[in-house]
Amino acid sequence: MSMAIRIAREEWRLWLRSKVVVAAALIIAVLLAATSVLTINRIADEQVQRMEQQVAAEETFFAQPDRHPHRMVHYGHYAFRPPPPLAVFEPGVDAVTGQSIFLEGHRQNSAMFADTKAGADLGGFAALTPASLYQLLLPLLLIVLGHAMFLRERESGTLAVLLAQGSSGTKLALGKATALLSVIAIFMIPLIVVAAYSVTLGESVLAAASLVAGYFLYLCIWGAIVLAASILIRQRAISLGALVFVWLFAALIVPRVAINASSAAIDAPGKIESDLVMLAEQRKLGDGHNAADPAFEQLQAQVLEQYDVETIEELPINWRGVVATYSEAELTNLLNRFAENRMALEAGQSRLFDLFGLASPTIAIASSSRMLAGTDLATHHRFLRESENLRFDFVQALNQAHATDLDYALDMNRNNDAASAEAARINAESWQVLDEFRFQPDSAVDRLGRARLPLGILLLWLAIASSFVVWAARKVRV
Amino acid sequence: MTAPLEARSLSLMREGNAVLDDVSFSVAEGEIFALLGGNGAGKSSTLLTFLGFLRPSAGEVLVEGRSVHANVAAARSSIAYLPEAASLYGHMTAYENLEYFLDLAGRKATRSDLDSAFERVALAEEARSRRLQSYSKGMRQKTAIALALLRETPILLLDEPTSGLDPVAIDEFHDLVKALASSGQTILMVTHDVYGACQVADRVGLLRRGKLVGSFAAEPGRRIDTETVHAAFAEREAA
Repeated sequence: MSMAIRIAREEWRLWLRSKVVVAAALIIAVLLAATSVLTINRIADEQVQRMEQQVAAEETFFAQPDRHPHRMVHYGHYAFRPPPPLAVFEPGVDAVTGQSIFLEGHRQNSAMFADTKAGADLGGFAALTPASLYQLLLPLLLIVLGHAMFLRERESGTLAVLLAQGSSGTKLALGKATALLSVIAIFMIPLIVVAAYSVTLGESVLAAASLVAGYFLYLCIWGAIVLAASILIRQRAISLGALVFVWLFAALIVPRVAINASSAAIDAPGKIESDLVMLAEQRKLGDGHNAADPAFEQLQAQVLEQYDVETIEELPINWRGVVATYSEAELTNLLNRFAENRMALEAGQSRLFDLFGLASPTIAIASSSRMLAGTDLATHHRFLRESENLRFDFVQALNQAHATDLDYALDMNRNNDAASAEAARINAESWQVLDEFRFQPDSAVDRLGRARLPLGILLLWLAIASSFVVWAARKVRV
Repeated sequence: MTAPLEARSLSLMREGNAVLDDVSFSVAEGEIFALLGGNGAGKSSTLLTFLGFLRPSAGEVLVEGRSVHANVAAARSSIAYLPEAASLYGHMTAYENLEYFLDLAGRKATRSDLDSAFERVALAEEARSRRLQSYSKGMRQKTAIALALLRETPILLLDEPTSGLDPVAIDEFHDLVKALASSGQTILMVTHDVYGACQVADRVGLLRRGKLVGSFAAEPGRRIDTETVHAAFAEREAA
């Protein structure tokens, strides 16, 4: 048996004979198991529900009777973002961004049903997730287990005896590191199980394995920080206090500072604020419901010229449908410009936030965790873009049907009486223009590519923390 | 013939203070040399320098003729060290402690080897499987001595070995140390116990404020005179 393993074995003997350590480890293990089971159940339920709701929304749309096409534009449709398989471990931004959007003409609605908005009765506490336990609580367990693992030898005088047996500071540190590594390895098991389960749900092995590797790196960083403190600091209380402060700094303070700093550095107006600004520009585009709006005079002249007629009544197509099509395209350009601008600012904030990983490994793992799980902001933005494409396509297809399938005169008289309203409907077959929408996570390679920066930062942290341990171990004196 | 332990003009500075100042002595094979001194005299620092834990600011220490700091590992492999507090693990039994430290020293010992070492130090059989946190100071000391015995090194360094022991245990310990020396083991002990040092040592050195200020050797077949050493010790301390 190598010296490192022998030292690690004795560390384990001490831990197993310490009621405090066993109790702390058991509490975290139970919490981890319970949170994993609850999150898996919740996310699996949500995945099934959203898939079913997506299908149901499509069936309901297709099942609509003959109607005026513009009523169908406002009847609208829903796009759902089912949680990706790895959301069973890392729900990510899902809880705050919302996961479904009502799609209708002339509007880009916000995503709805974010858990944090629906959970006001939880007293403001976000749900515990396996990811948050790994990010926050496991480092604390490593601190409890390891803050005195080296200095204890110095305090009790056994360090001199150990060194006198021919051991060295480096060998001792290697043994202690092996003990901490074995703890980390054991606590990786629940994550490996959850990751394997996500693979059975369709997740790629590459993404699941990368997530496991990322958390292993993260916990190794904490193990190295704890070990370095234990070697360099000579008093138990100071070591514990210093490590708890580092934990508070990395896990709670820096993330808050990073959020505020990112918001302050890149001022991204919220959806409501940008919508108000956008409304002013929207008014200049004209009202698509009013074909006589002066904003469409140029369009009218072009169309009359194109069809070589004098009046809109002579057009072979429905002028109101033409206006609706044109207006929707113009409006969508405007909406997309604002949406892209807002998303670019949010993405900029997110990138800046990620750079704070250089000050806190907790930020680096949180970012890479969301990216690898496919529950990050970029995925939500893609959902917004894809659902907007879906919205634009079916709204324009309906507007096209309005222009080609409904006579202008019938359309103009639709409000005269019930019979006129009945006559101003088109066949329900036209609703088949709606495309099937199934939101999928990015490929594992794309997600891994996005997570390069935070994963690189984690590697940098590990290299620095490990070098610190090696340097401190070489300087060990009795 | 090379002395197993030798200090040559050894000086040691710690945090700007001279802990040892030009100290020279050697300990012959099978000899018991006791360094006697008050608190802060530099006794424990002398031992730690032989173990390579402290680096001399001038002079050198040699173990079996080799400079300690040229090869610390080789020096430590020749030395068994008994620290003052008999520092062992309270959460382990005596068996577990010995097995662990012997493993780290690269020595394999069977349960019967351990039992025979415990018998030599008179550690009761029923105590050997108990955790050391329930031990008295004397029992811990016996366990630490058993470890030193099992190391089977040619040199034994003892730091205040009888501190906190009852008179019977002290006598037993002295007998054991003499027996080890008789078998050829070289022993350097540091203590502030004048009586104990004179009882067991072949030579006694007086250390005061880092300087070796006197030396007394036993006549063949006799012990060092306690009164003489005590008087010299008191005189030096009062100076």
